[in-house]
Amino acid sequence: MELLLAPLVGDVSPVTVIGLCKNAGKTTAMRRLMAELGEERLALTSVGRDGERTDLVTGTEKPDLYLKEGDLFATARGMLTLCDATLEVVDLTDVMTPLGPVAIFRTLSDGYVQLAGPSAAGQLGPLTARFMELGAQRVLIDGAAGRKSLAGAGVEGAALLCTGASLDRDMALVVAETAHTCWLFARKMPEHPGLRSALAGEERRFALFTLEGEPVDLPLDEGGNPKWNKLPRKPLALWAAGGITDPLLKTLARRGAATTLVTQDATHVLAGRSALELFLRNGGALHVRRELTIAAVAANPWSAYGWHFEPEPFISALRQAIDLPVVNVKEE
Amino acid sequence: MELTHELREHAGLQWVLERLSPLSPFGKTLARALRWYGPGQEEALEEEFDNIALAMELWGGGDAALRGVTRQLPLFHDIRGSLDREPGVPFDLVELFEVKHFLVTLEQLTQAYAQMPQMKGLIFPDLGEAMELMDPEGRRLPTFSIVNSYHNDLAPLRAEKGKLEKAIRMTQEDKRGPLLEKRRVLAVREDQLELEVRQMLTEQLMTWRARFLAAMDTLGRLDLIVAKAKLALRFHCVRPELTQEKAVTLQGVLHPQVAEDLRERGEEFTPLDLDLGKGCTVITGANMGGKTVSLRSTVLSLLLCQCGFFVFAQKAVLPLFHRVELILADSGPGAGGLSSFGKEVHLLDKLLRETRKQFFFVALDEFARGTNPQEGAALARALVRHLGRQTCVALMTTHYDGVSDVAGAHYQVAGLVRDIQGDEGDDPRRRIARRMDYRLLPAPPGAPCPRDALRVCRLLKLDDTLMELFQADL
Repeated sequence: MELLLAPLVGDVSPVTVIGLCKNAGKTTAMRRLMAELGEERLALTSVGRDGERTDLVTGTEKPDLYLKEGDLFATARGMLTLCDATLEVVDLTDVMTPLGPVAIFRTLSDGYVQLAGPSAAGQLGPLTARFMELGAQRVLIDGAAGRKSLAGAGVEGAALLCTGASLDRDMALVVAETAHTCWLFARKMPEHPGLRSALAGEERRFALFTLEGEPVDLPLDEGGNPKWNKLPRKPLALWAAGGITDPLLKTLARRGAATTLVTQDATHVLAGRSALELFLRNGGALHVRRELTIAAVAANPWSAYGWHFEPEPFISALRQAIDLPVVNVKEE
Repeated sequence: MELTHELREHAGLQWVLERLSPLSPFGKTLARALRWYGPGQEEALEEEFDNIALAMELWGGGDAALRGVTRQLPLFHDIRGSLDREPGVPFDLVELFEVKHFLVTLEQLTQAYAQMPQMKGLIFPDLGEAMELMDPEGRRLPTFSIVNSYHNDLAPLRAEKGKLEKAIRMTQEDKRGPLLEKRRVLAVREDQLELEVRQMLTEQLMTWRARFLAAMDTLGRLDLIVAKAKLALRFHCVRPELTQEKAVTLQGVLHPQVAEDLRERGEEFTPLDLDLGKGCTVITGANMGGKTVSLRSTVLSLLLCQCGFFVFAQKAVLPLFHRVELILADSGPGAGGLSSFGKEVHLLDKLLRETRKQFFFVALDEFARGTNPQEGAALARALVRHLGRQTCVALMTTHYDGVSDVAGAHYQVAGLVRDIQGDEGDDPRRRIARRMDYRLLPAPPGAPCPRDALRVCRLLKLDDTLMELFQADL
């Protein structure tokens, strides 16, 4: 098999496969990666559970990952009936899901498994560490699909971003959205060391600083929300712990001075492209407290809805718009 | 007796329980529903105290075996839910893992437990057969799988399936279809065999259900004893001496929650001595003299003792009551449209009705202070007389004169006795504390209540004009 994805992820662990929308080819990319990393002892889990894996003809669920003997995986107890590999139960985590607690298994034979892991991003770290203790060489996470559901799911390691025709009929729009997500993931920490250290332990919802990290008083209303019209009209750095939304960006764009906005990480930016462009055109800058990495973009020219793009122009349009490796996972 | 949330909060029992740290799910369950040792259960309570004393000695001495026991305790999962089933419903793989994990952890714990002096009444049931069933290869690994030895057909089937899976690996992806279909049939057969095994294991395990439950109960009790011992060591608690007398003796008793608050403010708790005989003892004394704290300290000591804890005192000689109650004057908003007076009367009435022919303890904080002073004093006097005729020990604080006349005994807070000058700029609370002698001193019945309100108001810096009017009116 030609190695397509393995060279792009290198030695990084965990690798989280995320999708820009449903049916963007996450499972295809995951399978491909597993096949390419066939010699390694892999450990797999997912962020929550993808509910769209029902066989439309029979109405039954089809497990879609075929593991090799000796691999590890974590899934909810309720998924056991959908796994047909011979299993050894290795550990039980304290992560609860609607499908029961998440347990860790080792496969004693090759076979199909169904993943339903922790739904909170904070629970993935300890699980990943446990996998490594149990002898895993690399952890693969079946991540969320849809940009809004990525919120807060930024994990260490690297992401593999899946995009494709399922997002929209308009190829130009798919390319632009993909490039936008890549741009967000490429956001860096603020350069000024003073601002960086000021933000390190910040726990408030909003906080105001000079560009050098000196605290600036932020007037709040009764609801605890900043009074945006009371902000001093000079360049400032604003920390926002929650989601970065369209209204927030538009308000900051119009405040009459440049704003350096700092968010937790790229997944917290929920705003659309036009609000962000408005913000940036007015002198705004976007930084993150935690940098995330996209190792590569996996593109799928086929949609689940009956249309598809010509592979060649689609891939080359993506390559032109994005400064990251772009591969077509359906390509043999 | 029921330890209501209100009683636990008011007495400070909740504060103590928050500092109790059982390590296993079984100990945590027991700590949430503490056993109450009532009259007639002295022997069981002494046994509990013996065990706590032993655990304190071992823990304080750094005993390795006890450390070995406590290392295992947090590793247990609660499998009571899994055992609550019809034997015909098979355990799934994860539940079987939990059973085996329980057995392996229990075995390590009992091995450590066997190395230390035995606690009274704590014997672990034999689960050796269950262990053999769940770990036929005797490797004692905390993992579980359905091994071939459980069913004769498993080994050949799995070998055949394994061969097929190897073939699938060697085959190009688009040509795997027929092989995968063959494998699917074998996987279904394997699943059926595993189900048979799980059914067999479940039936077997469920015959030992009572032993599993007994083991978890023993674990919980052991866990709780060690937690109580650690608490007693941390706070220098004392083992109560149980008495058949209808009297409570406390020496050097303190309230740990209040003591901690004081320590944070740089002040110190004055330990109290109390001898309470049958009938009602009355405490009088200055405002802010710690009268309510003495009630709470006494009630806390009694509750702790009867829940099998050592108490926060230097010495405690205590009987076992059927019921221990604390009635505070301002115990929050009156339930069901009752005023604070109404609520207090309601609680008292309820207590008196429910404790007929029972031996009870009640502490009352300034009973009947919420009504007019003349009637209030009469009601308080009547209650003291009435309690004197009951099989009870009671303790009441009051500002009313004439109440102590009819009491069995009378204590007075030593009060604002220290004459100190030159701290006018200080925090009023500290100024009062500096002048206050919080000790409880025996006083003759009928000794008048101290008149300290004026001085307390002055120390609290009440408005000058108001103070002048107040003084002129006295």
